[in-house]
Amino acid sequence: MFTLKYKDDLFKYILSVFVLAVVLIFLTAFIVILYYSYPAVIRYGISFLWVKEWNPPIKVFGALTFLAGTFIVTFLALIFAIPFSFGIGIFLQEYCPFFLRGILTVIIEMLAGIPSVVFGVWGVLTVVPWLRESVEPFFNAHFSSIPFLKVEENIGYGILAASIIVAFMILPIISSITKDSLASVPKLAKDGALAMGATRLEVIRNVSLPYALSGIYGGIILGFGRAVGETIAVVLLIGNQAVVPKSLFSVGYTISAMLANTFTFAVISPIYASAEVELALILLLTSLIVNIIGRNILNRVIGGRFNRSQFGGG
Amino acid sequence: MELQSQEPVFPANKGYLKRKKFYNKMVVFFAFIAFVIGSFPVFHILYKAVAIGYKYLDWSFISTLPTGFPIGAEGGIFNAVIGDAYLIVIASILAIPIGIGTGLYLSLFGKKKANGVLRLLNELMLGIPSIVWGIVGFYIFSTNAGFGFHFGFSALAGGLTLGFIMTPIIALLTEQAVNQIPASYIEGALALGATKWQATQAVILKAALGGIFIGILLGVMNIIGQTAPLLFTNYYNTGMPTGVTGPGGAVGDLAMLIFIYIHEPSKILHYKAEAASVVLLLFIFAIDLGLRLINYLTKRFIL
Repeated sequence: MFTLKYKDDLFKYILSVFVLAVVLIFLTAFIVILYYSYPAVIRYGISFLWVKEWNPPIKVFGALTFLAGTFIVTFLALIFAIPFSFGIGIFLQEYCPFFLRGILTVIIEMLAGIPSVVFGVWGVLTVVPWLRESVEPFFNAHFSSIPFLKVEENIGYGILAASIIVAFMILPIISSITKDSLASVPKLAKDGALAMGATRLEVIRNVSLPYALSGIYGGIILGFGRAVGETIAVVLLIGNQAVVPKSLFSVGYTISAMLANTFTFAVISPIYASAEVELALILLLTSLIVNIIGRNILNRVIGGRFNRSQFGGG
Repeated sequence: MELQSQEPVFPANKGYLKRKKFYNKMVVFFAFIAFVIGSFPVFHILYKAVAIGYKYLDWSFISTLPTGFPIGAEGGIFNAVIGDAYLIVIASILAIPIGIGTGLYLSLFGKKKANGVLRLLNELMLGIPSIVWGIVGFYIFSTNAGFGFHFGFSALAGGLTLGFIMTPIIALLTEQAVNQIPASYIEGALALGATKWQATQAVILKAALGGIFIGILLGVMNIIGQTAPLLFTNYYNTGMPTGVTGPGGAVGDLAMLIFIYIHEPSKILHYKAEAASVVLLLFIFAIDLGLRLINYLTKRFIL
């Protein structure tokens, strides 16, 4: 009996070592980023966030350009992705015939599994030429007087190309969470409404959506978190010029693209590297805040169950 | 009893009924269109990759090293295939024990409050952008300053960084798999006097094996597509690695190869990038199929 108890305790201690390892990895990541960004945080203070100039030779660093690029791409991607993922979620959960639901869900999950770099290649070889040859000339001809739609350089790369691709990458997350939230609506409530003569649309609008809405918000928040950190596809598509984008078609730069392109050069100068790590700190804090909020909502609504689409891509 | 003179409960307002049915149909239509547009890239990416890359796709593409000028213009992607094997093995050595251990702890021993915090920690790790992991990995493993690992840009540094990404996936899926086991299985074992270790050995690991495998495969599937963390920890190697650390320790990687080839101003390399993405996608979809097969066979529907 003694040996059994002993073994059980040993088992627990061994498992706690693994748990400690996870905690350690997380804390190490956090501390590394904090420690190496500390010099820049002290030197540039809070004004780092709204200084526009990024000039390594004279050691002036401000993140405004990259912050603007990141958040514009993220919000555009959300604007593109939300209606579609909403439609996909409703279609898969409410309208699609039962025998098709499985296979159609697989297609959306496959979208989640496609790596970021493959999306980037597809963007470079398909989306960019399409924008350059069809979309931008069209807007140039008809909407050039509207400032947000002005085509400055007809090159295809830019904010729009990047946000279209990022939208496709966050589509599976939001739509699968929409689907799961709709699936969590009690069947009795929906059947009751149907029995009273409501159409499917009325059931969705009056019964399912009020119930599922907070879950859908959770999905959108997680999609935001994924879009903010998206790197490789954005590097390939955004044009990589440190300007604050003025129109949908202009080029820009995001935090993640900046890090991917210049971090390895930056490490020769401590303060330059530190400024870059501070950019990473912004990404890290954003993702932590967004995920804490989003996961809390999802844990309440769909019990925190994971589905395939939340693990996809790189 | 004059049944026929009874007023209908709902006045048969034909226009109203028609209108609401029409709205319903319209929403069906728009939802379907949303689905078609949303799933369009899956097919178009595959089609485009195969259509451009097919002429390079044969066995020698996978089994020869890149040669020619610019490097990769001739030959294949063997360096990347071998490199991916290195990275997956190294990442798995770190992530599988830690992930499974954490998942088991969460579902067997965790107190309610601590459990919630630990779970949130895993979920947050899952949400950290991969480029941030790259910087963390760089400072931990690749620089000479800091932690005393002088791995340089090498398979070990890259693999361990990918392991960090893989760990929370395995942990969360293991927990989910153990929680799927009917409580009576575990309680039955415990009621017979088994300790938690014996119950784990005899019941839990057997019943949750499928789910744990799914977690591992999902982790592999995720890290195989990662490029950003490798930028700063294991850049790229056109040849074979001579070790796992230090100079010569860097390995090729499929995602990295595609990223580098698409940057080159050379049509041939662009085509080869597409051919390599076919290989990468086939690999990913094969893992995907494996996942679904396990899910189907164990009938537990972990995901």
